[in-house]
Amino acid sequence: MLEIKDLKASTGDTPILKGLSLSVKPGEVHAIMGPNGSGKSTLAQVIAGHADYAVTGGSVSYKGKDLLELEPEERAREGVFLGFQYPVEIPGVNNAYLLKAALNAKRKHQGQSEVDAFEFLKLAKEKMAMLSMDPKFLNRGVNEGFSGGEKKRNEILQMAMLEPDLAILDETDSGLDIDALKAVAQGVNALRSPDRAIVLVTHYQRLLDYVEPDVVHVLYGGRILRSGDKSLALELEDKGYDWVREAASA
Amino acid sequence: MIALALPEKALASAVQALPDNSLAANRKAALASFLDRGFPTTRLEDWKYTDLTTVAEISQRWLENGAPAPSAAAIDARIEEIRSAIDADWLVIGNGAIRNPEALSSADGVSVARFSDLAHEPGFEHPLADLNAALLSDGLHVRVAADTAHERPIGIMIVDGADTEAGVAQARIRIELEAGSTAQFVEYHASIGDADHYANSVVELSLARGAAADYVRIQARDRAHAQTHRTAVRLDDSSTIRYSGFDLGGRLVRNDLDVDIAGREATARIGGLYIAADGQHIDNHLRVDHRVGPATSEQEYRGILGGRCRCVWNGKVIVHAGADGTDAQQSNHNLLLSDRAEIDAKPELEIYADEVKCSHGTTVGQLDDSALFYLRSRGLDKQDAMRALTRAFGASIVSHAPVAIVADRLTEMVEQRLSALTDGNEA
Repeated sequence: MLEIKDLKASTGDTPILKGLSLSVKPGEVHAIMGPNGSGKSTLAQVIAGHADYAVTGGSVSYKGKDLLELEPEERAREGVFLGFQYPVEIPGVNNAYLLKAALNAKRKHQGQSEVDAFEFLKLAKEKMAMLSMDPKFLNRGVNEGFSGGEKKRNEILQMAMLEPDLAILDETDSGLDIDALKAVAQGVNALRSPDRAIVLVTHYQRLLDYVEPDVVHVLYGGRILRSGDKSLALELEDKGYDWVREAASA
Repeated sequence: MIALALPEKALASAVQALPDNSLAANRKAALASFLDRGFPTTRLEDWKYTDLTTVAEISQRWLENGAPAPSAAAIDARIEEIRSAIDADWLVIGNGAIRNPEALSSADGVSVARFSDLAHEPGFEHPLADLNAALLSDGLHVRVAADTAHERPIGIMIVDGADTEAGVAQARIRIELEAGSTAQFVEYHASIGDADHYANSVVELSLARGAAADYVRIQARDRAHAQTHRTAVRLDDSSTIRYSGFDLGGRLVRNDLDVDIAGREATARIGGLYIAADGQHIDNHLRVDHRVGPATSEQEYRGILGGRCRCVWNGKVIVHAGADGTDAQQSNHNLLLSDRAEIDAKPELEIYADEVKCSHGTTVGQLDDSALFYLRSRGLDKQDAMRALTRAFGASIVSHAPVAIVADRLTEMVEQRLSALTDGNEA
């Protein structure tokens, strides 16, 4: 589904990703862990197409297509979803408007009929119930005045509505209380299917107690230093990132 | 050049040619005053950014052609279009002529008359009011009787324009809300015709003790036309005005809104949205005089600018000596969609009282890149994302427009202007 080969990316003059390779197959859940500044968020933003990051080498192929050639909105319509670490507050743009416009943009792109207001509302309410979200959030500005936990739930709501084929969740677990963490995990687990792939970018293994990954990677200094099964996450939790750092420099 | 003058003889004969009614003597006095002062020039601080040379030229051409009464066949169609779009009791001034003062004659507590019926003489305290009073064939007088609550919005439509030769039109309205009365107003400015045109209007609103007015002004002039418009509001004790102005059209537009807070516990909440595209110049000057306190005034203006255009916002608050308990807030926010757009924003605060609460703030910015990326990452294309963010910028002003009945039409009009702006159709 996602093939990243020797990816190099920088912001301004600063190289951040320095030859990163990653292969994610349909049905898999990958966790990418690493200390702050290792390039986790950059990887997520590059996959989504953020203009602040320049790709200076390597390739990213998604379902056999060159992902880097596509505009951010084209990536989304092709089924790529990024759950933001810091969801943006957009006062005046209604949450329902965004969800409906996003859903219909994707449906249109994929040759499906657009959903009408009634179908949309039914679907949105169903997904919100799953995430224990108050339907009132639909009529608020996108993330406007939301608490940290509400913003993250809102990201998961968008993901649940759009049903992406490849979801990348950037630190969606950070700053969440246990109820919000469980709601987020439930949203992610509900999306798991043999046709979809999920990449969890995270600092801690806490989320992985609720969403069991197939593969765990350690990202450090812009490269993946180590990959393994879920026991790697536990090992990291136990020994800390210094252990990987030492292993890398050894 | 100190003043932009108009040829005396031609102007005098244009005044002479107006219908002979009780305004005649007043016109002559106003003419003398205008000839003395001329149009204001950019050498005056208040007119620094708005050059009326174009307006003077159009007026001059109009005079050279013998100041013809403008005839525009399409005017009736436009009037009907506005009438059917907004459900109000419309009073219409078409090319300077009052069409239907009898329209509201049956309404409870509202009386409408011509200035000439009442022997009312319009004042001329400002050069543009001079010109208006000099060239005014007649004015419209609306009175809401004490303690009446008039439910249906009263519409004031000012539609003018010229077909082939340059045109000039005046309109003047005086609205009096007597003690304890309430009413809603929609003031709509539109123009038609291909020729250059200059419209000059004055609206005076006075609210007696305890009166309340909700007022929406919509300026949707043709993009080739010029307008100067002056609104003077006087607030007595415990009266309240909620006013929103929308500038969506016009080539050269200057609006002056003066609010005179002459009574205690009076409230003025003023909002405005201006949308300017390539080739437009929109200037909003506000002045609030707090003469007594306690009283409250709020100004919130927003501007959306695209292409090569220029907007001016100048909001002045003067808290006079003794006006203790004044609460005055001003804000002006601008969104620039193009690097060729220019905004000159200036809040001014003069305080001569001790116990006051005043604040002001202005911002100028562009669309937020991170918000744009966020929306695109959800599948909205760039145009849609830009439009959504641009619309959001003006949304608070639109949603706070005080006359509910215009909400849908206003939303639609703003939407159309913004689509044109963000799609770059008019670049």
